[in-house]
Amino acid sequence: MYQTHKTFVTPAMSMWDLLSENSRLLLLLEHFEIDFSVGEKSVRQLCVDNSISAKLFLSIANLYNGFYPDKQDLPDVDDIVNIIRFLTNSHNYYKEDKYPEITGYITLLHERTGDKRVKMIEDFFKSYFDEVVEHLDYEDKVAFPYFLSLVDGSGAIGGSSENFSAMEYSTHHSDIETKLADLKSLLLKHVPLDNELSLRRKLLFSLQELEYDLLIHASIEESLLLPLANKIEGQWGSAR
Amino acid sequence: MGKCKIKIACLEPLDILYEGVTNILMKTGHHYFFSRVGDLDELRVLLEREEFQVVVANPAALLNRSGDVMKLKRDFPSMPWAGLSYTFVDTSVMNLFDGIISLSDSRAEVSKKMDRFANRCNCDDVVKEELSAREKDVLKHLVNGESNKEISDKLNISIHTVISHRKNIVRKTGVKSLSGLAIYAITSKIVSL
Repeated sequence: MYQTHKTFVTPAMSMWDLLSENSRLLLLLEHFEIDFSVGEKSVRQLCVDNSISAKLFLSIANLYNGFYPDKQDLPDVDDIVNIIRFLTNSHNYYKEDKYPEITGYITLLHERTGDKRVKMIEDFFKSYFDEVVEHLDYEDKVAFPYFLSLVDGSGAIGGSSENFSAMEYSTHHSDIETKLADLKSLLLKHVPLDNELSLRRKLLFSLQELEYDLLIHASIEESLLLPLANKIEGQWGSAR
Repeated sequence: MGKCKIKIACLEPLDILYEGVTNILMKTGHHYFFSRVGDLDELRVLLEREEFQVVVANPAALLNRSGDVMKLKRDFPSMPWAGLSYTFVDTSVMNLFDGIISLSDSRAEVSKKMDRFANRCNCDDVVKEELSAREKDVLKHLVNGESNKEISDKLNISIHTVISHRKNIVRKTGVKSLSGLAIYAITSKIVSL
């Protein structure tokens, strides 16, 4: 996890203070579809106004601030719907916002430098993006419906969905993180270019933002959703 | 590359001590990552699950558990144990540790003591990120799409050696995926298009 040295978020804290300290929390608000004009509201008040459990909001806000959830602080079953909504919105952020932005920068960099190596990076990124879209589709079509089916227990009663595999899930995440890190290494260490500092800075900043949000996205899935799913399956198993 | 990732498993029930030590260490310039546990059983679960470089533990939390500590040290023999000393504890427990950090130590002393443990990582050995001739050979074959077995046959080395070269290549270049390594190989003129 990133060592962010940010505040550990608690219910009585002022949203404005938290946002001032870590503007990345704006992404959290956006993924939850919560408006940014928080005024004087506390975390607790914001959650009440937006019908989100404070417990869930705090878990995710603390992830953005660099704190992993404790094993015993799992969300409730009813939170699954909001978690999936958050994650689905993140998908749109990656597909409609970050990836086109990054692709745009790389393409522009190629046009401006005419450098063949930048073309290779462009192809690398394109094939990486295709892999990511495949993974996001897998989540939308297989993983998320499975998690949602646990809310009323229909998925758990039938046993783990044969289509959904927790291990495959984790492997995808790690592949995606690896290629993104590789891209940064290539751009910062191995492909020196003479100009276009400002464009390369925008590209690297954008990669950094993406990497950060993806890390949190994967953490939500692996530290909150999956353990919660295991717990629910266990409960249904013992109820039978 | 001065920074390498050092994972520390920390058995410290007292918040003030934990926050104090971790804060000091995080400011030293090494990349320390802490995982905290409350007792010896949790520590075992943690060590079995992930790889750590150092254990930092409060000796007072280990009273009457010397036997279990020794078992853990036997099961993870290359892992140094640093003790956090703030109160009198029996010598038999203190002797379980490879080094002691005392409450009265200054920041510089804490940092120096942990450096001794942290230097077990080999990132300082990599002064340049230049690949060796052999590593370049392995990279050429990798980028050609060959498996570890095929490379080991062609270069007449063991698979274990191939894997070791691959790890070094990843470590020196900071690039892990095959497609990324292909770009690296081309831009470094190890392979031509």
